[in-house]
Amino acid sequence: MPDVQALVNDFVLKLKRRKIEGSHASARHTAELLRSVISQQRMPHTNQAGALIDAVKAVGEQLIAANPVELAVGNIVRRVLHIIREEDLSSTATAIEGLGLSAGSDDDDEGQHVDHPALSAAALAAAARSTLRAPSLQTLLEDIPRSAVTPQPPSSGGDSEGKSKSADKNLRSRKLKHDVIEAINELIQDIDTCHEQVSEQAVEHIHQNEVILTFGRSRTVKEFLCAAKEKNRSFRVFVAEGAPRYQGHVLAKELVGKGIQTTVITDSAVFAMISRVNMVIVGAHAIMANGGVIAPVGINMVALAAQRHAVPFVVVAGSHKLCPLYPHNPEVLLNDLKSPSDLLDFGEFSDCMDFGSHGGSPLLHVVNPAFDYVPPKLVSLFITDTGGHNPSYVYRLIADYYSADDLVVKRRSTS
Amino acid sequence: MQNEGTSKPQKQKTSKAERRAIQEAQRAAKAAAKEAGGVKPSASSGGAVPALKQGKVAKPSSQRKDGPQVTAPVTSSEKKVVDRLPEKDRKKDVPHPRMQFDDKHRVEKAKRRAVVNQSEARSRVELFRHLPQYIRGTQLPDLESKFFQLDPIHPSVYKVGLQYLSGDISGGNARCIAMLLAFKEAIKDYSTPPEKALVRDLTAKIGSYVSFFIECRPLSISMGNAIKFLKSRIAKLPHTLSESEAKSSLQSDIDRFINEKIVIADKVIVRHAVTKIRDGDVLLTYGSSSVVEMIFLYALELGKHFRVVVVDSRPKLDGQALLCRLVAKGLNCTYTHINAISYIMHEVTRVFLGASSVLSNGTVYSRVGTACVAMAAHAFQVPVLVCCEAYKFHERVQLDSICSNELGDPDVISKVPGWKDLNHLDNWADNENLQLLNLTYDATPSDYVSMIITDYGMLPPTSVPVLVREYRREHLWI
Repeated sequence: MPDVQALVNDFVLKLKRRKIEGSHASARHTAELLRSVISQQRMPHTNQAGALIDAVKAVGEQLIAANPVELAVGNIVRRVLHIIREEDLSSTATAIEGLGLSAGSDDDDEGQHVDHPALSAAALAAAARSTLRAPSLQTLLEDIPRSAVTPQPPSSGGDSEGKSKSADKNLRSRKLKHDVIEAINELIQDIDTCHEQVSEQAVEHIHQNEVILTFGRSRTVKEFLCAAKEKNRSFRVFVAEGAPRYQGHVLAKELVGKGIQTTVITDSAVFAMISRVNMVIVGAHAIMANGGVIAPVGINMVALAAQRHAVPFVVVAGSHKLCPLYPHNPEVLLNDLKSPSDLLDFGEFSDCMDFGSHGGSPLLHVVNPAFDYVPPKLVSLFITDTGGHNPSYVYRLIADYYSADDLVVKRRSTS
Repeated sequence: MQNEGTSKPQKQKTSKAERRAIQEAQRAAKAAAKEAGGVKPSASSGGAVPALKQGKVAKPSSQRKDGPQVTAPVTSSEKKVVDRLPEKDRKKDVPHPRMQFDDKHRVEKAKRRAVVNQSEARSRVELFRHLPQYIRGTQLPDLESKFFQLDPIHPSVYKVGLQYLSGDISGGNARCIAMLLAFKEAIKDYSTPPEKALVRDLTAKIGSYVSFFIECRPLSISMGNAIKFLKSRIAKLPHTLSESEAKSSLQSDIDRFINEKIVIADKVIVRHAVTKIRDGDVLLTYGSSSVVEMIFLYALELGKHFRVVVVDSRPKLDGQALLCRLVAKGLNCTYTHINAISYIMHEVTRVFLGASSVLSNGTVYSRVGTACVAMAAHAFQVPVLVCCEAYKFHERVQLDSICSNELGDPDVISKVPGWKDLNHLDNWADNENLQLLNLTYDATPSDYVSMIITDYGMLPPTSVPVLVREYRREHLWI
């Protein structure tokens, strides 16, 4: 336990100091950290899932509070919670099916009563779940033989039942942890391979002699364009430099290295050039539940220009960037204001910006936000590792990955 | 519009008679000035040729290197000097197409006549092949070395040209005033060579100065209009004046132009504009415009309480100079870069923009990035007010920023001042796949502009062609 806490503290510190940048790195670290937390968690006899959820929530709360703007961290925490709930449900569902037939035959055995309340709750949950799942002919036909054929250990009578029950529970608890950790490993793998999966769709969207505009630098966009280039599509790219970080320069160098015809333009020239552009492809920092996008600053301007010229505005992002929160006042609440030194040299203007003089209200304020919010109506398409989606479809993706109970990651106070 | 149909036949009859009269006057003028060498007869038919023809010839001076020697064949629209253009000529009043730099033959011809040695840049953006792009950094030392050898160019003209080349003077009004003052000096020192007519020779000289300016930096539209004015004044000089009288008349004309069209016009614009500023306003401006700065300072003097947001962009970063001056006067300012306009536009109540020119379809032609600011303001329902003097209006039309623009120095994009480790784009010229594009102007569509404030009043963008047409010949330039 103590070394897990040390890991958590270390990560929290890195997040607070913005040492970890980028949703990919943050997501990966979070997933690995939660995996360690879960594997070291001691499991009680009853309600293992609840214990796991509590532990993850406790850690997750700290991580989210360290950097609330880095939404990928919260996304992964909620994904893990959803995984735990899902695995729990699926394991109790299989256990129910096995025990369901034995419950009828062993009514007279007294040792069962202790387990019944717990079982009944799980049974209810499982039953509710199976009714939610649309019945198909296959499930209907499969259910009957399965419950008829498989002989469960509990059907053998007496004391051995009680023992096998507890053995079963231990099996189940270990199995739960094991399943959860396996699922988290899959999640980590998904995070790692999201770029490849997004890039596979590049060929469908980029044809010959296209002119593409992009803004700043996104690794996903870079791999997207390079994948299209490898399939020998000829196209040109305009890269807007993306002040004040000028990451567009880096992207231009990388694209040129792959042999793509690139032109670097200033951000102010975006409106001027967009009339000759076929498609705008940008990356995102996060995709919100309403289909809105939190993106590096300046992309809203590009989106407005694209709308004016009827140019498709495509956002490419891995699914770990999908956030189940609704953006309320995103310009203020989901934004980072950075140092003015990026924009102004302190030499000339330092006395104007001094909060000490002028009675606490200086003459000059410098505003340097890091993020921009793009409303869903400006986005034409999201390309994620699960395929292409409309902004209006995002809420369904969220239902797949997240549970409604996890929106607010707060450890329930023990009452 | 109504008398068009009825007066058409009459106008055509008089035009024929007028043409005969013009031809006779031409013959007489030719006989009188047959010694005029080196001047093509097509362009200069003495004082008989009306100002409007000179005007038409000088119109494309903004991008042509041939100066006033027009090569376009003159149509049969020679008219007497009339106050109002007859129908025929008005229809042929389409602005002459500018010099396109993808025409190799014309480019070669222009190069041979050039004063400044320019070598074309190696890697050019395909989309902009019709605009000139030269390798920077070699011209200034070259010109400086030639300073004492350039007889035909007057020293003050040379000085202003160098200032354009280095970027010391920028901004439509500043460049225009500098150019006109240089011309005033040149006219003061001018003396007619023997056996040459003042009008023709002076026009040719002015033309050569203009070519020099174009080589230093392509003309802005304000400069083009001022040159048109000057040439029309020269052409309208009565023959009875002596040389010194003519020169002093021209100098006073130039003074009057600067005073009326720029200085007083700015004052009128400022008076109009401050009525649109209320207490508690948050005003946004982009880049550095002289008129907008005057508006803010005047409103401050009047005691209004408002805040200013200065939006700036690379590579010129001219908002910083404006910021300096505003903060020095005690104005409460916010400074940001153009990417953050969506963030800051929530607080803004009005947007004031300057313009290099307003074109006849209502498009505002100004510093690159203005269109983005106007678009964002439109998206957030913030009114956009463009402040532009009437002499900057032009009858050209333009739909986008590609057909006509000015290409700046691309090296400025790769070098970011203050960021020494940002060297990803060093040696960009070696890579044939990589190009850098530095646009200077862009065209803002008219539906983003709420109002244009000029010295003729506050008008919607759709009224600009009316102003150009009605006031152009007489009032705009006199």
